[in-house]
Amino acid sequence: MEYGLRPLGREKFWFWVMLAPTLIGLTFGALGSILATLGLSLTNWDLLRPPTWAGLSNYLALFKNPAYFKALTNTFKFSAMYVPGVVIISLFVAVLMNRKIHGVSIFRTIYFLPAVTSAVATALVWNMIYGRDTGILNFILNRLGQPSVCWLCTKNALMSVVVVNIWGAIGEGMIIFLAGLTAIPREYYEAATIDGAGLFDQFFSIALPLVTPSIFFQTLMSTINAFQAYDYIYMMTRQGQGDSSVPVVVFSIYRNAWNFFNYGGASAQAIELAVLVILLMAFYFWLERRYVVYE
Amino acid sequence: MKKGLFSLAMVAILLLTACGGKTAGGNATNGSPVQITYMEWGDPAELDVWKAIVSDFEAANPNIQVNVDVSDWDSYWTKLKTLLAANTPPDVFAMDAPLYLDYQSRGVLLNLQPFIDKNPGMLDGLFPNTLTAYQTPDGYFGLPRDFQTIVVFYNKDMFDKAGVPYPQAGWTYDDLRATAKALTKDTNGDGKIDQFGYVIDPWDFEPGMSEIIWAYGGDLINADHTQTLIGEPNARTAFQFLHDMMFIDHSIPDPNTSSQYGGDLFLSGNAAMIAMGHWAVPSYSEAGFKWDVVEMPSGPAGQATSVNSAGFVVAKDSKNPDAAFAFIKFVLSTAGQTRLAEMGFACPVLKSVAESDAFLKQSTSIDHQIFIDSLAFAHMKPVFKGYDEWSSTIGDGLTPMWNGEAELNPTLDQIVTQADEVLANNK
Repeated sequence: MEYGLRPLGREKFWFWVMLAPTLIGLTFGALGSILATLGLSLTNWDLLRPPTWAGLSNYLALFKNPAYFKALTNTFKFSAMYVPGVVIISLFVAVLMNRKIHGVSIFRTIYFLPAVTSAVATALVWNMIYGRDTGILNFILNRLGQPSVCWLCTKNALMSVVVVNIWGAIGEGMIIFLAGLTAIPREYYEAATIDGAGLFDQFFSIALPLVTPSIFFQTLMSTINAFQAYDYIYMMTRQGQGDSSVPVVVFSIYRNAWNFFNYGGASAQAIELAVLVILLMAFYFWLERRYVVYE
Repeated sequence: MKKGLFSLAMVAILLLTACGGKTAGGNATNGSPVQITYMEWGDPAELDVWKAIVSDFEAANPNIQVNVDVSDWDSYWTKLKTLLAANTPPDVFAMDAPLYLDYQSRGVLLNLQPFIDKNPGMLDGLFPNTLTAYQTPDGYFGLPRDFQTIVVFYNKDMFDKAGVPYPQAGWTYDDLRATAKALTKDTNGDGKIDQFGYVIDPWDFEPGMSEIIWAYGGDLINADHTQTLIGEPNARTAFQFLHDMMFIDHSIPDPNTSSQYGGDLFLSGNAAMIAMGHWAVPSYSEAGFKWDVVEMPSGPAGQATSVNSAGFVVAKDSKNPDAAFAFIKFVLSTAGQTRLAEMGFACPVLKSVAESDAFLKQSTSIDHQIFIDSLAFAHMKPVFKGYDEWSSTIGDGLTPMWNGEAELNPTLDQIVTQADEVLANNK
C-alpha cells in the first residue's frame, strides 16, 4: 500500500496548500479538543467558575460510580451484539445485492434508506412497532397465539435497540462490502466454476478472503459507531427526567456535563472511553496483520 | 472515537476561543439606545407575548431596546451555560426556582438587592410564597416572574359517560382512588386497559408525587438540604398508596404503558384525571372534550400542593444592569403582569393581577381561582444547590419500581443512600 505517487518539487508546495484546510481543522478542532478534554479531566469544572486542579480524582471517582459502571457495561454489551450483527448481516445483504437481478438498484436503495432518514423519525416508527399494548410486533405475536412481550422494558430494551441500530447500519455496511465484492475479478469465479466449485465454495474460498480488507474496515467503523451510539437508543429508551433505561457511556458523558455541572467528570469518562477504544483498535490491527488478505 | 470525544470537547474549544469575546453593549449616556437581551425557555407562542411586553416596555423606556430569545427547555440550559462560560451571557434570563441556587452559588448572578432597595415597596404586591425561593442571606439574586401550583385536571366528558360525580373541593386521596378506579376501563374490549383514572409524573416530584407525600405528613428533604426524607414512614405510605393504585387498581398507568400513548394521556383522551400545573391550560384548551380543575385532595395530614415559580435573574457580567432591572421591574408591574396573565401559561405573581379579570376571565373558561387558592396550602418545590442531580438520582432510582421490576421498600432505601451522597457532594 505504500507505493503511491509521491509529490515532487513545486508539487510539494501545493500538496501542503491543498491539505492545509483539513490539517488546520484537525489540529484545532480534533486534536485541540482532545487535549482540552484531557486537561479538563484533571480538573473540577462546573463551566461557570474557573476550573480547579483535581488530579486523578475524577478518574478514581469513576470506580465508585455505579451509574457510570452501568453505562459502561451497557456500551460493551451493545457493541458485542452490534458489531458482529452489522458485519455479518450487511455482508450477507451485499452478497445478495451483488447479483444480476432485476431491480437490484431499488433493493439497494431500500437497504440504504435508514442511513439517510432522521434517527428521531425512525425511532418513533420503531416505538410503534415495539409498543407493548399497541405495537405491531405484539399484534402479530398475539395473532399467532403468543403472549405480548414488553420489548422496551428494562429486561429487553438493550436487545431491542441493538436490532434497530443494526437495521439502521446495514445500508452503509452493504455499500462498503459491495465495493469490495465488485473489485474481485470475474476470472477468479470463472476459474473456480471450471474447477467445479459451487456457489458456497466460491463464497468461502474466493469472496470471503478477498473482502477481508472490507470486513476489517467495517468492523473498525462499526466498533467506533457502537461506542458512540446514542440517537436511536436515547429516543427509544428515554424516560421522564432525562433518564434512559439503557444508559450508554455517551449518554452519561452528556448528562454529567450539561445537567450535573460536572465537566471534569464527564471529560474523564470521555478519556476513559477513548482509551478503551484505542486498546480495542490496537487489537484489531494485530488481527489485521494475521488475517487480512491484501492483493 | 475521535468523533465521540469531539462532541464533548467542542465545548472546551468553544470556551477557549470565546473567552476574549464581550457583549457589544451600548452606552446609556450617549443618545443611542441601550440594548439588552432577555433569554428564556418556552413555546414559540410565548415569543409573541413577550414581543408585546417588550414593545410596551420600549414605549415607556425609549432609550432601552430588548432582544428576546426563546429556546425550548433542553436547549435553553445548554445555551445558557455556554454563554455564561464564554462571558457573553444574556443580560436578563429566565430561571427555574429549583435550579436558582445552582447558579447563584457559583457567582454568575447579580445581586438585585441594591436595586430593590432603590425601589421601596416594589415587592409588596407579590405573593410572599413565590418570593421565598429567591431569598438568600445576601438578598435577592432573582425575582419570581410567574408561578405554578399543581391541581387536578379532570375530563368532564369521561366522568359524565361513566356516571361518576365530578371531584369536589375538600375531597381526600381515598376519594381520588375510588374515583380513579371507577374510571379505569377497557373501552374497546380487547382485554387491555386503555382508559386510566389518574396520571402523575412518576419521575418529577412536582406533578403528583410531592403533593401526596406532604398530604401524608412526609417530606422530600430536610431544611438544610443534607438528608433525603422520602424513605421516612409517612412518605413511604404515600408511595405505597400510588404503588397500589398503579399495580393493584391499575388506575395509574405505569411508564411502559403511558409511553405508548406518546406524552400526555390526558390530552389524548386516555386518562380521566391528571395532576398538572397551569402551563398545560393553553394546550388542553384545544382538547376535543370538556374539562375542569379541582384542588388537590387531602390526606391524613391535611391538604397539600406544590408551588414553583419561574423567575428572572440578571447576569453578573451584564453591561447594563440598570436597564436589565428596569425591564424586570416593568414585567412585575400591573401592565407587564397583565400581559403575562393573558398569555395563559402561568399565574401572575402580582396579587392584584392574579385577582383581576385578566387572569380569572381568560378565554379558557375554567375556575382559574383554584390555582390561586391553592397557594394557601402549598409547599415550595425544593430549592438548593445540586437540585438537578438530586432529583435525577431519585427519578432514575424510581424507574425500575414504577416499571414493576423492583420492590418499593428496597428501592426507596437504595435511593435515599444515593441521593444523600449527591447532597454531600454538592455541599
